[in-house]
Amino acid sequence: MKLALRELVRRPGRFVMATVVLTLIAVLLMFLGGLLDGLTRNATGAVRAQNGDVLVYSGAAQSSFLRSRIDPDLRALVSAVDRVTATGGIGIVQLGARVPGNGPRDLAGVALFGYEISPRGVPDAPPPGQAYADEVLKANGVEQGMELLVGPARSPITVIGFVSDTAYSGQGGLWTSPQTWREVLAANRPAAQLADGVFQALVVRGNGSPSALAAAIDNATDGATKSLTVAAAAAATPGVSEQQSTFNQIIGVTVLIALVVIALFFALLTVERVALYGVLKAIGARSSTIFAGLVVQAAIVALIASAIAAALVYAIEALIPPGTVPLYVSTSRVSTSVGVLLLAAVLGCAFSLRRVLKVDPASALGSAQ
Amino acid sequence: MNQSAPNALEMVDIRKVYQTGNGGEVVALDHAALTIGANEIVALVGPSGSGKTTLCSIAGGILASTSGTVIVGGEDITDYRERELTTFRQTMIGFVFQAVNLVPFLTARENLLVVDEMGRRTGAAARTRADQLLEDLGLSEQRKQFPAQLSGGQRQRVAIGRALMNEPKLVLLDEPTSALDSTTGRQVMDLIRSEMKSRGTAAIVVTHDERITEFCDRSVHISDGILKAG
Amino acid sequence: MFLAIREIRRAKARFALLIAAIALLVFLILFQQSLQGGLVTSFVGAIRNQSAPVLVYSVDGQRVIQASVTTPDAEAQIRGVDGVAEAGRFSQGTFSVMADDTIVQASVIGYDIVDLGGPTTLTEGRQANAAGEAVASDADADIGFGIGDEVTILPGNYTITIVGLAANAQLSAAPALFTEYDTYLDAVKSRNPDAGEPLPNVIALRPMDEVSAQELADRVNAVSDQFDALTKSAAAAETPGVSQVETSFTLIFLLYGLVVPCVTGLFFLIATFQKAGALTLLRAIGAPAKRLVSGLVLQALMILVAGLSIGTLLYVPVSQQRLGSIPLQFETRAVITWWIVLLVLGVASSLVAAQRVLKIDPIEATTGAGVQR
Repeated sequence: MKLALRELVRRPGRFVMATVVLTLIAVLLMFLGGLLDGLTRNATGAVRAQNGDVLVYSGAAQSSFLRSRIDPDLRALVSAVDRVTATGGIGIVQLGARVPGNGPRDLAGVALFGYEISPRGVPDAPPPGQAYADEVLKANGVEQGMELLVGPARSPITVIGFVSDTAYSGQGGLWTSPQTWREVLAANRPAAQLADGVFQALVVRGNGSPSALAAAIDNATDGATKSLTVAAAAAATPGVSEQQSTFNQIIGVTVLIALVVIALFFALLTVERVALYGVLKAIGARSSTIFAGLVVQAAIVALIASAIAAALVYAIEALIPPGTVPLYVSTSRVSTSVGVLLLAAVLGCAFSLRRVLKVDPASALGSAQ
Repeated sequence: MNQSAPNALEMVDIRKVYQTGNGGEVVALDHAALTIGANEIVALVGPSGSGKTTLCSIAGGILASTSGTVIVGGEDITDYRERELTTFRQTMIGFVFQAVNLVPFLTARENLLVVDEMGRRTGAAARTRADQLLEDLGLSEQRKQFPAQLSGGQRQRVAIGRALMNEPKLVLLDEPTSALDSTTGRQVMDLIRSEMKSRGTAAIVVTHDERITEFCDRSVHISDGILKAG
Repeated sequence: MFLAIREIRRAKARFALLIAAIALLVFLILFQQSLQGGLVTSFVGAIRNQSAPVLVYSVDGQRVIQASVTTPDAEAQIRGVDGVAEAGRFSQGTFSVMADDTIVQASVIGYDIVDLGGPTTLTEGRQANAAGEAVASDADADIGFGIGDEVTILPGNYTITIVGLAANAQLSAAPALFTEYDTYLDAVKSRNPDAGEPLPNVIALRPMDEVSAQELADRVNAVSDQFDALTKSAAAAETPGVSQVETSFTLIFLLYGLVVPCVTGLFFLIATFQKAGALTLLRAIGAPAKRLVSGLVLQALMILVAGLSIGTLLYVPVSQQRLGSIPLQFETRAVITWWIVLLVLGVASSLVAAQRVLKIDPIEATTGAGVQR
């Protein structure tokens, strides 16, 4: 072990080159992961924040707020289900908001929600004409106390506070009372307006497991509703699951590349040290000791590369103008990337194991060069 | 001299046969027998290709013989498998290689300590021993220097120190002076003799240079795999 | 040449690993090119490949067709702008559609004039010319949107028959149905009988001969702050989300593209260090430095070509797949560009090692110092 560490410290040159390449790959891994997380977050924030067990849409809506419609009769059916303890209506309208100080064509995209049950982190529904804004809207210049003019009808909405992680489909959330939402909807999307008591979806709380609850509700309404657990509803947001599987595949192949690069580098290094290994084996070193030294070196190189990459990715996140790239760098994503890279490092080394085993201590004797 | 100490080496009827690529055979050692006492220094002299390195390799537990018996310091290593041979080498054998083969990125002191790190891991005891050895070899001032900073003679002395670190029963020296000029070579051989004798360690010095033999108790000649007393 | 190839044969594992790394990288880069192309096409293909040169949105629509609303007054103003040769309504709605016994989301796009909003490239069949007919995006032909298929708009059960297929014509990663305006209105009413006659979303314009599309768009924008006139390609590029996709992918390509020359350069640098003794010997016995360098460059070329070939071969079948609702395509231009870029960068990186080769002093062969490091 000491031998392996001393070589790293005293002969850093070669390892530096490999570290540079691995850092690039680590940045890629973390960046891809951060991109995926950012996209998912921006698409599903509002749904994930819902403070209930199940989201209920109408049957043919394909889990989309905009195509869903729950009228009071249907809601009554849902509330009547045994396990259900509370239902809250929720509705959305997506519009462009004029922000004071921005140009006439520079609108902020907002998803205006009317809610009965407060989502996590959002206070109770504010008075008419007021809203809590998602902090992503700060990038559009929105400030507390500002009056936004929303939609073609220029509905005035005053921002009385900020909340976080409540975006929907890439747009910042504006959280208002059901009455405000209904008025804004009617004024700006007259073709889609909904009567009092009609919501697009329901947030439902109940007893027992959420999935059993969802099934019970759909049974009770005979398929007129489609109920999903909150997590499933988030995953069903259009595009999300495809994004995730695509990105994860790309990330997977990138990890494979990291493995191959490490295997390559340590294969080269081992070739060079065959003579040294012969000597060490002759004086009594076990193959396992020698190989352990290699693994330690690979692990350290991977750790250093990860540390530099993490710093770089956090820097990239800080430097990119908000709104241009949906990057969200979370500690869990960074740690996962580090762990995966470490694993790849150890596995990549294994490629050289055979060569280490094959080194013949007799080669140390009688060799003049 | 401890007269009841077992012989450092007893090789009986050793044959080493290599198969060549096209089905033939090469006999590297042919019914070789060699006994070395606990405190003897023996010169093994022969031209290149005579089998002297093969003999050393078998004696040092680095190579297995095709047939015959090998007993080192009272321990029969004939049927040892790789694991056991490795432990055997850690504790019983010291090597001084022809190409010196010091680890280039370790200091002189660390090159001695690496034996302990690869083997028994005695920690502080090893460090004391290393410092003592370096002093005995006249290398105290050089202990923090790297091989590249040492002269040929100094490097060879570090190698000798490394060979003695684990208090071996038998030290195998393969052409220890071939890379040195004649003055330095004599100095090194002098040192080898005094160190081996003062510690009661046996040694085989492989050489093709007849002048080396004056530093040894006796010489054995080998030619085409066959040993003859000298 | 001889030595270069010999070395590769003697050290197959190492070179195989390098080629594997490059092949994987190339595959990933090309795959992501297809992904980027497929994503953008599936989101705004319908806009890029419809026939109107200029589209006028309302600013509140934020460049989303179905979010844009044009009042009669606005429409009159737009039609009256100097330079307009022809104008027509262009609207779109997203509907739940039953196709091939499955419910999917699809866009219905209605145009007044087929040359102002209809699909430009038909791969099969003909344009719609009667009520209840539509041209569908050809990427969706297999899922119930083929020629002759009937799809049903829910919940009102309004049926539309597909009479033609258009290339690269999806919208928002979903099937698109191009119809005459009346058919579009019928679809809207079937879903919401109380809708009345909805206002058009976008006004499509054709400029007069002497006016360019961009000029016309500028003139319309000058008339009022409420208008957001864009050329066809700008409308596609500035649809929300598209520029984010492009920026993200650009960053990704940059990083991946850097990895390839780094790995190649690293490999050859280390390999050169390892061969220092042999190279010094060769120089001492009279091998010209240029010969050794060209051997190195040749190796780099062979490896890069091998890696690029394998990576491209892996990419071919994958590029024919559908990723969910996104159809991928083999991007020939991307393949050619990346081949050139990576070959150049890879060979350039090996020249770093070549520099070391040129620095070798043959005298070191005699002292043996060339072997020590």
